Amino acid sequence: MARLTKYSTDEGPGDYPRDRIFRPKSIAVMGVTPTPGTVPYDIFHNILSSGYTGVLYPVAPGKRAISSVRAYRYLTDIEDDVDLAVIVFPAAVCERALTMCGQKGVKGVIVISAGFREVGPEGAEREQRIRDICKDYDISLIGPNCLGVINTDPEIRLNASFARKMPAEGRIAFLSQSGALGTAVLDYARAKNIGFSKFISFGNKAGVTEIGLLDYLYKDDKTDVILLYLEELRDGRGLIEEAKRITRGPNAKPILAIKAGRTPQGADAASSHTGSLAGEDAICEAVFREAGIIRVGSIEDLFDTALLLANQPMPSGDRVAIITNAGGPGVMATDAAVSVGLEMARFAPETTDRLRAALPAAANVKNPVDVIGDAPCGRYEAALEAVLADPEVDQVLVILTPQSMTDIDAIARGIVRIHAGSDKPLACSFMGACDVQSGIDILQAAHIPHYILPEWACAAMAGVQRIRRWRDTPLVPFQPLAVDQSAARAVIDPAPSGYLPEDQALAVLAAYGLPVPPHRLCRSLEETVAFADQLGYPVVLRVVSPHIIHKFELKGVALDLADADAVAAAYEAMIANIGKVMPAAEICGVLVRPMIPPGREVILGAKRDPVFGPTLMFGVGGVFVEVFRDVTFGLAPIDAGTASRMVRGIRSIDVLRGARGTEAADLAGIEGCLRRVGQLVSDFERIAELDVNPLIAGPAERGCAVADVRIRLE
Amino acid sequence: MDKQQIEQGVVKVVCQVLNVDPGMVQPESNFVFDLGAESVQSVELVAGFEEEFGIEMDEDAALSVETVGMAVEFITKVCKEQGVEVEE
Repeated sequence: MARLTKYSTDEGPGDYPRDRIFRPKSIAVMGVTPTPGTVPYDIFHNILSSGYTGVLYPVAPGKRAISSVRAYRYLTDIEDDVDLAVIVFPAAVCERALTMCGQKGVKGVIVISAGFREVGPEGAEREQRIRDICKDYDISLIGPNCLGVINTDPEIRLNASFARKMPAEGRIAFLSQSGALGTAVLDYARAKNIGFSKFISFGNKAGVTEIGLLDYLYKDDKTDVILLYLEELRDGRGLIEEAKRITRGPNAKPILAIKAGRTPQGADAASSHTGSLAGEDAICEAVFREAGIIRVGSIEDLFDTALLLANQPMPSGDRVAIITNAGGPGVMATDAAVSVGLEMARFAPETTDRLRAALPAAANVKNPVDVIGDAPCGRYEAALEAVLADPEVDQVLVILTPQSMTDIDAIARGIVRIHAGSDKPLACSFMGACDVQSGIDILQAAHIPHYILPEWACAAMAGVQRIRRWRDTPLVPFQPLAVDQSAARAVIDPAPSGYLPEDQALAVLAAYGLPVPPHRLCRSLEETVAFADQLGYPVVLRVVSPHIIHKFELKGVALDLADADAVAAAYEAMIANIGKVMPAAEICGVLVRPMIPPGREVILGAKRDPVFGPTLMFGVGGVFVEVFRDVTFGLAPIDAGTASRMVRGIRSIDVLRGARGTEAADLAGIEGCLRRVGQLVSDFERIAELDVNPLIAGPAERGCAVADVRIRLE
Repeated sequence: MDKQQIEQGVVKVVCQVLNVDPGMVQPESNFVFDLGAESVQSVELVAGFEEEFGIEMDEDAALSVETVGMAVEFITKVCKEQGVEVEE
């Protein structure tokens, strides 16, 4: 029997296996009971009452009928073919139910039941068994432990879920790992008149994962925007690959996501700076960034941005025009727009002339345009028409505050009329709650997104801006850099587990082209002084011992030694002190290198994550990196574009660029070093953790230099 | 009481509680998958067995019984433990 490990992504829509789940011609609900208010009954009832256009069969042992529909004892008693089985039996009998699905030839199954991986090891074993059954019978499985699926397409009208009501039809698809959150979201969306194309709760994702579902929704001609609520990411690299394909190109669809669980995992157990900072959430952030997935912080943000994406065209730039009938909200909106990275449009002279001609003398004809508190509909129309026609404007926000003379409905209708046919996105904020509601209804009926506060509209515009910038950023294919892999292998392969001695770690970095200063491991006072003389002063001494990781704490580092006498004194003091405080430590010698001229201290880190594989970190602060926590992450290896985004993505990038008259650091050099570290940890699976900390970044003409390194091998 | 009487008593209780025909009730019948027991009916089954055989059953252990045959074995064991004479 054929086994499917991964579904093809290039099947035509007609024979796509997951159509059995989302567009079934017939459904059997297995385990239906006749008691209203229970999940088994409600699932069946919801399919029946949603007006499902196919044929529905209840499988209810011992029952003649459920809700007047003839019931079957077993799935195999049904004479006709069944496309989709929805299993609501308790977990203990789900294996038997799934096996029967396989025997019947059912190819799509949703397991609603809980009692699997989420309840512990026994449940995990049960989940593995149902996964195996699905593979044996080529079954596409959604769940277990999920809410079910909804397809609002009038041709299907499927509510195979225990959500109370079918949502309105719309262009937004929602994927949710949490069933409970899903019901809350559906209720919230209904109150805001938000429609959906599909709603999919995928629970434990034992079969089809979010990656397979994204692929399906990409091909779904009823879906324009994909929303994702994720609690656990198991295949970050797979998600990046799939999401990149979806979020770019001519048929691109935006993906907005909420990832729950911001608590770093395993930080306490990590011994390196990178290990302590590279928690699951930080890496997820990097995965989303590289995948072009826009991460938002709340359900509100998710829908605010989605509404704009689903109902308005993509702006061609960042420039926004604001029209308001009140100065205060105009200023607030301007602040909000600028703070989220939008640009206030500078109107063309013709636009200003048109506004001046149409508006009273007291009006502000510059951005934000103030049509004054007593503005009738005509003023709003004239202002909107003028700014929409301005080539310097990419998008418009219209604000209205309800004054006693404001004809809210007329203004709403005027906005709809003027905007009709425009290829520029428009958002509105009719501020208030009661008086403005009828106007809001008019706007929403015309698919113009409305936000109670202008700041929320600006935040949504900023989300759209991120998507547009992502699409405009060229993708640079990964190109390996020239490195001496065999030289690094000669060091790493014979080394035992644990930390590489510093001289060996530096040799590995040098083999991968990192800027390692000249150095030598010296084993005597005479050799140390002689090599220091050869290098020229000032120099640095660093003790090398497999038992000493934190050298500074044991006075195992001596900096800025100006001559041979200083070197000799430092050498003797260092050896004596370590012999006293850590007599058991084996001392391999003292590493001698030049003192690196001052520059900006940055950290390049890497960590092998059990789920994500080799991950990279960049940050500022040297030994204070954990204090500042100004770091970015990426999945290794990285291309030039990712390196640039990581380095330039830190909060204090202006410090590296040369703030307040200081010299700019060699950003290109840092990016090159980061790429080389990424390549190194990708090439050698034994590297568990790596910190280059600090890398001292001088100005471009001097470049970067490795000041310290730790490499831990598994 | 002999084993056959226990089997007959189990079938009687199952048919009463689950409202199914005696012909559906076989030793290998799973209460949920084959006979359509809801969770609340599982509790009713336990109560019915206790009343039918004059015994008290540990509820957790009783609810872990999945099939009619397993119920017969479980009740036989409990009867013996609680001094109800059972002929083999």
